[in-house]
Amino acid sequence: MTAAIRANLPVFAVIAPLFVAFVLPTFARRTRLVEGLVIFVQAVGLWGTAYLARLVLAQGGLPIIYEVGGWSAPWGIELVVGNLGAFFLLVVAGVSLPVAIYASGNLAKEVEGARRRAWFYVLYLLLGGALAGMSITNDLFNVFVLVEVATLSCCGLVSASQEPSGAEAAFNYLILATLGSGMILGGIGFLYIVTGHLNMGFAARALATVWQDYPHVVWMAISFFMVGFGVKAAFFPLHIWLPDAHSVAPSPASAVLSGLAVKGYIICLMKVLFHVVGPELMQVFSLNRLLVLLGMVAILIGSILALGQDELKRRLAFSTVAQIGYIFLGMGLLNVKGMTGALFHIASHGIIKSALFLAAGAVITQTGKERVSELAGVGKKMPITMGVFTIASLGLVGIPLFSGFVGKWYMLLGSLGAGDYLAAAVIVAGSVLCAGYLFPVIRVAYFEPAPADDWQEPGVRQRLALILLAMGIFVLGTIPGPLLELALAAATDFLVFN
Amino acid sequence: MRILLSKLLINYPYMASVVLFIIGASTVLTRSNLFKKLIGINIMESAIFLMFIAAGNTRGGAVPILDQANPGASYINPIPSALMLTGIVVSVSVTAFALALIVRLYDSYGTTNARRIAEMRNGVADR
Amino acid sequence: MTDIILALLSGLVGGIVIALLPQASNRLRNTLVLLFSVAGAVFSWRVAGTVFSGGTIRLSGEIAGLAWSLQPDPLGTVFGLIVATLWLFATVYSFGYMADEPRQRTYYAFLLIAFSVALGVAFSGSLLSLYLFYELLTFATYPLVIHERNDEAIRAGVKYIAYSLCGAGAILIAIVVTHGWAGSLDFAGGPLLARGGLRPGLGWLLGLYVAGFGVKAAIMPLHRWLPEAMIAPTPISALLHAVAVVYSGVYGILRVVYSVFGHELMAQMNFSRALPWVAGFTILAGVIIATQQDVLKRRLAYHTISQLSYILLGAFTLHPWGLAGAIFHMISYSTLKITLFFGAGIVAKQTTKIRVSDMGGVGWQLPWTMASFGVASLGMIGMLPLNTFWSKYYLMRGSVAGGKWPFALVLIISGFINALCFLPTVVAAFTGDRDQLSREKGGNVTLMVAPTVLLAGIAVLLGLWPGLVWPGVEAVVNSFFIR
Repeated sequence: MTAAIRANLPVFAVIAPLFVAFVLPTFARRTRLVEGLVIFVQAVGLWGTAYLARLVLAQGGLPIIYEVGGWSAPWGIELVVGNLGAFFLLVVAGVSLPVAIYASGNLAKEVEGARRRAWFYVLYLLLGGALAGMSITNDLFNVFVLVEVATLSCCGLVSASQEPSGAEAAFNYLILATLGSGMILGGIGFLYIVTGHLNMGFAARALATVWQDYPHVVWMAISFFMVGFGVKAAFFPLHIWLPDAHSVAPSPASAVLSGLAVKGYIICLMKVLFHVVGPELMQVFSLNRLLVLLGMVAILIGSILALGQDELKRRLAFSTVAQIGYIFLGMGLLNVKGMTGALFHIASHGIIKSALFLAAGAVITQTGKERVSELAGVGKKMPITMGVFTIASLGLVGIPLFSGFVGKWYMLLGSLGAGDYLAAAVIVAGSVLCAGYLFPVIRVAYFEPAPADDWQEPGVRQRLALILLAMGIFVLGTIPGPLLELALAAATDFLVFN
Repeated sequence: MRILLSKLLINYPYMASVVLFIIGASTVLTRSNLFKKLIGINIMESAIFLMFIAAGNTRGGAVPILDQANPGASYINPIPSALMLTGIVVSVSVTAFALALIVRLYDSYGTTNARRIAEMRNGVADR
Repeated sequence: MTDIILALLSGLVGGIVIALLPQASNRLRNTLVLLFSVAGAVFSWRVAGTVFSGGTIRLSGEIAGLAWSLQPDPLGTVFGLIVATLWLFATVYSFGYMADEPRQRTYYAFLLIAFSVALGVAFSGSLLSLYLFYELLTFATYPLVIHERNDEAIRAGVKYIAYSLCGAGAILIAIVVTHGWAGSLDFAGGPLLARGGLRPGLGWLLGLYVAGFGVKAAIMPLHRWLPEAMIAPTPISALLHAVAVVYSGVYGILRVVYSVFGHELMAQMNFSRALPWVAGFTILAGVIIATQQDVLKRRLAYHTISQLSYILLGAFTLHPWGLAGAIFHMISYSTLKITLFFGAGIVAKQTTKIRVSDMGGVGWQLPWTMASFGVASLGMIGMLPLNTFWSKYYLMRGSVAGGKWPFALVLIISGFINALCFLPTVVAAFTGDRDQLSREKGGNVTLMVAPTVLLAGIAVLLGLWPGLVWPGVEAVVNSFFIR
């Protein structure tokens, strides 16, 4: 029995959350059971992915290849748990567990009605399953299906907010994201027409030999992928839907949307660009320059826009736009250091941004204040929540000892290795701007006199989740160990063996 | 010129899908009526479905069921058609979800015009 | 080994204890603060004992795959001792000065934490840990800068953070480049870049470092945050904005010149020839602007900017005598400047006079204070019975011996302007009606006056027996010039 589970672990990572998601509605009114089951499946998922990651590391980076239904590669669907897959599975499981714990405590204050909350968890698990699938699938069409599952559950999570602006943000998000899906499907179609394969490995091999015969079709395919995934990952200037959607969603939803969902699309784009198209072809089409350039613009514009926001969650949402810019910049450098930095930033930003959104959500539900300028003295009334917010801010700014520093360090090494001094300057300038939009929150919270209102810390579960995330930020910043190894190995896979 | 024209004519399904795609995408981006946006999305997706199906087609090909009596027959490629079944399912669910959201928006704002909704929301925010 | 850990931890633990202590009585809190500060100082002295008797203390490890180390060498130890000793004086002074101020808990908690962080800067053995503590120092001292919590303080705080973070960003880029070129960031193996020799881009790298650390060292034109930061309470202005924080910038530049580049490499670089001129310009411009200021603390701030560049000038001469002068000046200037600030603080607290033009006759009300202030003013000119005489002597000797004689002239001119800057104030303070009521009575005032007088005494003592600190200076110079 255990042997069977172990052998099928990759597919369980995807279908276990999906299965639980389908079962949940049958006992939607029993909130405790629903919450318990969600946390249980996430905890088991974390254990399973940790096991998989250990296996991959022990094999020295050799991927675990799982053939779904026993059909082998060009015909069947492959799940490949390689360095990249194990890395992102670990990130997804590691972030979604604390967020689920937080949601079990805080959701009652943000979403009314037991049934609605149960449906929220259904969408949450669907998103988790889809992200897990996106990290390990090796099939282009499978990518499309999982991206669609993720997109629909994201839109559902955004619309879970009762405010009418939630429905509007969700609709705008849905329309743009579906436009993006159409683009992605079109890109897959072009690649399929040119190469005759949907399996990434086979498609890559075929593309390497035939691309010179159909340069325009390949060009079209790449542009479709860039725009499609770019819209979904909120890559500047396609980010317009993000601030509305991420700021209006309930706080656990904002946390996974900003922390994980956009990263899932980036991972898929990375796979397509580096595994299928390949770094050489990217250089031929000057894609790397485009990525670095837009990444720099995203960092600067996103940060500057964040400076101007008074609504706390909107400020954090714009910050996500800037941080996505870092990841694309690191990707575009086309060297192992930069790529490692980008991948590690995916992990560290996932944890940090979740912590920030959850802390902001706790502050908002406990005090009812949504604006930075109204938060005077919160730090004294809610020391744990704001303490975690402070740690996460230090992490995002990139102070050593916190996880953000490691990613930025590698991206700096990468950009200087590529001789791109402007990119290095922008990376550092982004950090300074990041301090510019996060420290005022901390200053207002701690160093301004508190009003007489009786503000309380959130419940035990919320505090536990926040502390877990803060510890994660600290551990990743000091002993990133296996996660950094996986990121390094994945970056090497991307750039060296292709 | 004649060669180009003949190439275009031979590949007329692709041309049709390009035209449909442009119609769909421009409808999504330019129309402010929520229903028209949704219809635009559907047109755009059918364009892509058409492209896939056309790619899988073989002129004079038979239904891809192995016929022992006729071993040399050419079949159409079944994979794109199968994929597009999935694609259509996805498209239907997106449409359903979007319609549900439109109902909610109409309940709250009393209109299905995106621009008016944005104006009303900003008015609320200013107050 | 345990000494260095305890030295670093005592401030941090103390800060956390104070922060967690609910509104305790002043007496209990002050006792605890004093206890932890003394502990930090004692352990720092023990570290110094080991280092100067030829021992090595090294703690190292890895953060996220990057090697860090704590290994005080003579230069770091001298800086650490200055910090640890003067922190004690400032703490005692704070007991008097802050006695009836609000928000004491925050004040003392961050004062102790900043103590730890400043010691961390001093004891760092690699660029990475230096950067870490340098960055943390900004955040640890920020609450102290905005202690007043009014608009002006908040604005000064924003400026302080913005300047410091931009500087730290420049340093980070420079460190990454250094890491790429040298392969290591540890100071223990001699100058990091010396082995690579001259290469293109080296001048830019030095420029980045100097600009980065120069923010905290207040090199003109990066000095603008410093006068604004004078809104902080006087002990903070005295300790942080005349010594600890600004010294961390100066210390960083000394490290870059002698431990990252090394004096041999620096001597071959064109860019390093421009640096003494920047320092010389800052010396003169700072002190000239200082004479124009009427608010005493602002005058002292611009004067700080000028004096910090004395140290940098000594370092940029790349000559053993110049470096000796720089280290000597680090020690002697810090004692005198704290005396000046303490004096200004007592005047402000007891008479509410903050402008120089109002201070006529203050000396008769505050005889001990203004006497110490007068002694320190003489020191700033470089008169003989005071310790700065020796530092100026070595600085001039170094400039001339290093072939940079114009800077000896700069130092002499600056001495004259210094005289114009402070002597009239002192003279005016002792004019007018002699029979005024002494305002130096009461426990809190004694807590402020005693450290002031004591520091002035130490300055005179060092002036008469420079041999007391000479072994330390010699050890620093030897560690960089004799290998």
